[in-house]
Amino acid sequence: MAASPTRSGSPGGFCAGRMPSLSAAAYLIPSVAMLGLILLSPVAYALWFSLQQIDYGAPVGFVGLANFRALLDDPSLAPMLGRTLVFTAGSVLLAVVAALALACWIDRLRGRLAVVVQLLAILPWIISAVVATLLFRWVFVHDLGLSFAALRALGVSPVQPLSDPEGAMALLILVAAWKRIGYAVIVLLAGLKSVPAELGEAARIDGARPWQQFAFVTLPLLRGPLVLVTIVLTLSNLNTVETPLVLTGGGPAGATRVLPIEIYERAFVNFDLAGATTLALAAFALNLVMVLAYVRLVRLHV
Amino acid sequence: MSKRRATGLLLTMLALTGLLVVNVLPLLWGVLTSLKPNGDILRYPPALTFAPTLAHYERVMQEGFGHNLQVSLLNTLAAVALTLLVSVPAAYAFDRARFAFRRPLYMMVVACIPLSLGASALIIPAFVWFTRLGLTDTPFVLPLIYAGYQIPMAIWIIKNAIEAVPVEIDEAAVIDGCGHFGTLWRMILPLARPGIGAAAILAFVGSWNEFLAGSVMVDAASLKPVQPAIYAFVGFFGREWGPLTAASTLAILPIVVAFALFGRLIISGLTGGAVKG
Repeated sequence: MAASPTRSGSPGGFCAGRMPSLSAAAYLIPSVAMLGLILLSPVAYALWFSLQQIDYGAPVGFVGLANFRALLDDPSLAPMLGRTLVFTAGSVLLAVVAALALACWIDRLRGRLAVVVQLLAILPWIISAVVATLLFRWVFVHDLGLSFAALRALGVSPVQPLSDPEGAMALLILVAAWKRIGYAVIVLLAGLKSVPAELGEAARIDGARPWQQFAFVTLPLLRGPLVLVTIVLTLSNLNTVETPLVLTGGGPAGATRVLPIEIYERAFVNFDLAGATTLALAAFALNLVMVLAYVRLVRLHV
Repeated sequence: MSKRRATGLLLTMLALTGLLVVNVLPLLWGVLTSLKPNGDILRYPPALTFAPTLAHYERVMQEGFGHNLQVSLLNTLAAVALTLLVSVPAAYAFDRARFAFRRPLYMMVVACIPLSLGASALIIPAFVWFTRLGLTDTPFVLPLIYAGYQIPMAIWIIKNAIEAVPVEIDEAAVIDGCGHFGTLWRMILPLARPGIGAAAILAFVGSWNEFLAGSVMVDAASLKPVQPAIYAFVGFFGREWGPLTAASTLAILPIVVAFALFGRLIISGLTGGAVKG
């Protein structure tokens, strides 16, 4: 049964005889069962749940698409989606651009320094969003924090960005990007390392200036990693409730009430399980589009 | 030329300083704050010298944070063990065996990597569903869920590691009389250790840092992990930054230790490119 396409490195012929499908199944069933239970079965349940009338958290009868109609009729939906778009686009764009700059810089460093800088870069990414956001708030946006003190020492009187709608959104975008830049740096750096040096060399001999080399040689070759990072960061921003929850709580006056916090509040503050599930399913459909794009992209280098 | 090198050096120093200020300073300042007496925390301008105190740590321990740490540690270790137990055989089969639906099945696993990132969108129906199954508010629900989130990525990383082990090794093992389990256990596992280590460390970090499932799926105080506990502290302690930073310091300690010991593994795991953000 060596019908599947061969990969480089391990041609399949030999092992086909070694491991019959039955044992392969024994090796696979635990993982497939776990994924089915934890990741896939809730989706199926959510679909069924969203078609039910929900009273006090319990499904009491089939109502068809009534929950979805209620969602679409909700006048707060459009502004919320608008805020989500601003937040996600802003923070993904900021993170990708900053990560690209950092990755290009790290790519030129040599030896131990390169490793140390990479480790420094991913520090906010490996710390939980709750703690990272909390500490960021304490140090950089608190009246008693370090940055306010530094500004006062420079003779500038700082304004609290969290008390103003635009400021709060800008800060949320900044913190969400800060938390994830490190991940993007590592992935883009790996992409940069796989760009053959001869290509840059050839472009230089042909008279390309450094920025031309970057724009016409490096950037096109980074397309795969750039798209991958964009997809993963978009998913991450659309699904992380901790950063807005700890930084702004959706405020002031709902100015930073973005999709994940909207779902969270509907469920746990308003106890509107039907509304929360319907919205979550809509968000899930959005996720699914990106998951498909991800699989197509990753397939390229499987 | 030397002017360009000087500019380069200056840029490097600037970028390095920026990185230290933005990424390291919040952690250091958090630790310092947690050791300051209340008077020094509220002092303006911020105090750099003070008589260190453990009072804030005692305070969060009184609020049961020690227990939260213990719960998180157990959850995380169980999740990592379960993840490896399930992912290593699966990765081996995906790489070495040939069977029907291998590719579509593997694609499904890969699709689950970003899907687990979006699993939080469905946490509410998942909660209702797991309650029906009798899983919620039990000690094993969080390890199960965390393992479910981490398995796709672990299979991906470990499969890549096994792929790098030459098939000739299997052949030699077979000639020496190993079955396929023996081949996996004695020959392939030792050679794939860095990949397995990277998968384990990323599963550790992901499980330790998880917030939403931890706050939704268990209700009993005795089952609450660290991240939801800290979020509860934000409401409970309000503007008391001493206890808040003390809890934060304790919560990042295992991550910082893992990072110091296995930082390179984290980077190599991420470098595969498929890992979630």
